[in-house]
Amino acid sequence: MEQAPPDPERQLQPAPLEPLGCPDAGLGAAVGKEAAGAGEEDSGVDTMTHNNFWLKKIEISVSEAEKRTGRNAMNMQETYTAYLIETRSVEHTDGQSVLTDSLWRRYSEFELLRNYLLVYYPHIVVPPLPEKRAEFVWHKLSADNMDPDFVERRRIGLENFLLRIASHPILCRDKIFYLFLTQEGNWKETVNETGFQLKADSRLKALNATFRVKNPDKRFTDLKHYSDELQSVISHLLRVRARVADRLYGVYKVHGNYGRVFSEWSAIEKEMGDGLQSAGHHMDVYASSIDDILEDEEHYADQLKEYLFYAEALRAVCRKHELMQYDLEMAAQDLASKKQQCEELATGTVRTFSLKGMTTKLFGQETPEQREARIKVLEEQINEGEQQLKSKNLEGREFVKNAWADIERFKEQKNRDLKEALISYAVMQISMCKKGIQVWTNAKECFSKM
Amino acid sequence: MAGGPPKALPSTGPHSLRDMPHPLAGSSSEEAVGGDSTPSPDLLMARSFGDKDLILPNGGTPAGTSSPASSSSLLNRLQLDDDIDGETRDLFVIVDDPKKHVCTMETYITYRITTKSTRVEFDLPEYSVRRRYQDFDWLRSKLEESQPTHLIPPLPEKFVVKGVVDRFSEEFVETRRKALDKFLKRITDHPVLSFNEHFNVFLTAKDLNAYKKQGIALLTRMGESVKHVTGGYKLRTRPLEFAAIGDYLDTFALKLGTIDRIAQRIIKEEIEYLVELREYGPVYSTWSTLEGELAEPLEGVSACIGNCSTALEELTDDMTEDFLPVLREYILYSDSMKSVLKKRDQVQAEYEAKLEAVALRKEDRPKVPADVEKCQDRMECFNADLKADMERWQNNKRQDFRQLLMGMADKNIQYYEKCLMAWESIIPLLQEKQEAK
Repeated sequence: MEQAPPDPERQLQPAPLEPLGCPDAGLGAAVGKEAAGAGEEDSGVDTMTHNNFWLKKIEISVSEAEKRTGRNAMNMQETYTAYLIETRSVEHTDGQSVLTDSLWRRYSEFELLRNYLLVYYPHIVVPPLPEKRAEFVWHKLSADNMDPDFVERRRIGLENFLLRIASHPILCRDKIFYLFLTQEGNWKETVNETGFQLKADSRLKALNATFRVKNPDKRFTDLKHYSDELQSVISHLLRVRARVADRLYGVYKVHGNYGRVFSEWSAIEKEMGDGLQSAGHHMDVYASSIDDILEDEEHYADQLKEYLFYAEALRAVCRKHELMQYDLEMAAQDLASKKQQCEELATGTVRTFSLKGMTTKLFGQETPEQREARIKVLEEQINEGEQQLKSKNLEGREFVKNAWADIERFKEQKNRDLKEALISYAVMQISMCKKGIQVWTNAKECFSKM
Repeated sequence: MAGGPPKALPSTGPHSLRDMPHPLAGSSSEEAVGGDSTPSPDLLMARSFGDKDLILPNGGTPAGTSSPASSSSLLNRLQLDDDIDGETRDLFVIVDDPKKHVCTMETYITYRITTKSTRVEFDLPEYSVRRRYQDFDWLRSKLEESQPTHLIPPLPEKFVVKGVVDRFSEEFVETRRKALDKFLKRITDHPVLSFNEHFNVFLTAKDLNAYKKQGIALLTRMGESVKHVTGGYKLRTRPLEFAAIGDYLDTFALKLGTIDRIAQRIIKEEIEYLVELREYGPVYSTWSTLEGELAEPLEGVSACIGNCSTALEELTDDMTEDFLPVLREYILYSDSMKSVLKKRDQVQAEYEAKLEAVALRKEDRPKVPADVEKCQDRMECFNADLKADMERWQNNKRQDFRQLLMGMADKNIQYYEKCLMAWESIIPLLQEKQEAK
């Protein structure tokens, strides 16, 4: 398992590019790609950038979702949803946007993109995808993947995913990402050709396996702990929120019954009739207002979900560090034992157990030539081992440095985003209260005219 | 006519539910309970046992001497008075100060009844007595008995399922007190019922039990006569206007029943919503312990949700204590009104049957016999009383429901205003730029 530094072949222009802003879910946020310098064009790298990426802003949007039928790998008919991804470049001078690319992708292709990024950027907290299946639903929302509300929210989530990548200083330069936006056909093959699946460390998936690491970087250990707790608390929050939404729905809807009974009652009343009837109408308004209120709240839930899944990504980076550290320690251990073996062979003392030693004991001493040969082999291995250890050490330190930098960036982003989410939640609650006051004030006025 | 805000009556200071010596036992303990305007025992005894003429309401003159139309004309006169608000009221009654009494055989609650009146029927301008629920129940039966042609206001339900409702809890006692207060106020506002002798004794007697035992049944002329109406007569058709009242009451009770069920269901849903909120808020608190910069905002949201939960609890308590009981009262009211309608039917049936019998006898009598005339008299009085009461009832009902429903709207407005305030107050906290920690 190799840890390669960002491969120039995978990256677009080596010129440092500074992305702007935070992705704005639901809108095609402008993603600025401006060269820090004077816009040096490195013609040696890619001719695929027919849009001159750095000097223009690009906008990415997942604008549509469409139901499709097709045949799957087993030649069985299946229904799936395809999403239209449109990329526009915005002229600096006049602000007009021109559609440069437009293609359709399905969820599994997004997954493929993400899996690829996870392998090639293990030190990056890779943005998560929106959930595959609807979870944390409350009764009104169906758990059906074909449900239009679910599809709509997923569309927004996928757009958000792309915008997150586009605004990431390192990920945005990835070639496969660029091709994802621009090359409809053959993209899957291109990704698979990178052979990333082979490079994937399967141990990363085995979440429960524990590796006894002697000297992990404490910051990563703490961070892993934090990500576990964050996942737990946000899950709990989402579960309870769904129940709260359910109950609130019930409260509002039952009020609708007042509408009907007030109407019926007004029929037998002379002076009270009008007041009752009109008040009943307001009760109907009140009952139906909950639908929009709860739909808005789903966006808040989605924002929380994104960070629930981000916690997973955070955890993966910490895990990666653990594994690297583990490998490093194993390599060091292995090297130390080889050195010891070598020493023993050279001096003739046997302190460590070795199979050779055992067999020698059983089957007789080896010849000096044999011993020389073995020492030579060991010395070669020791040399190799020392080289590897050096590079592993270097890799490890690079990883820690780069990962920690991205983690700091992530932390800032998380604090900003969650604060915004809490503010928008408070604003939603305020709006709900104001609507409630309005409706009941209207009803009160009707009652006063009874 | 409608009850305005009760005038403040002198109270003997703040009381809480605590044990007291038996209030209905001798006069010595009375001094500890009531105000300073308790009449002397002698005067009271004299009133209880004798002077019918002083106490009897005008509507109930001794049997046989007054003309059939007297009740109605009196009603007309009194109705005029009642239309003038406030100033001409000469009788004020208030129920307050519940107290718990623990005795060997039972535990019960008494309420203080304070009466202020300038009416000649009252010897003193002010009275203060203590009564328990069964005394109210007694009063109501007496009123039904002695004033059968009138609509008697309902009492709150007598029985409560033990174990489900704590009949000594402050909320229950307060709800009952309000209902009993309303009961007496409705009688007070009634031009005929307020002059009823039993009502007077109820408000003034120190020893109500003694009076009860006496079995004094000073029935009005009507009461006496209606009492003797045999139930064997069947009415062929109810006159249109009473049929309309009957239909109205049926539908009215039905709709109220539906509203009661809806209100109960809303309260149930709100309580379940509250349960979830009480779990929801603290999760933000837990989350804040994991965070640095987000700790304060998250804690703020948690506190906010807590405030909203409290506001919601207040709303559900209010609706349970103030809204539901009044609905139920009106359902009971319409039930008792339907029985009065039935009694009226019987009176009419008897009259019609007797009239028919006379016609069938084919006797050579040019004049209708006296007893048939009495029946007709009875029926016409009943009809007049009932119609007048219905009109009064309709007006009061309109006021009561306007107040009740506006109250419901108000409580909901207050709930949302409390929540609004909570959320608006944390916006600045959430937007605050935090110093790097």
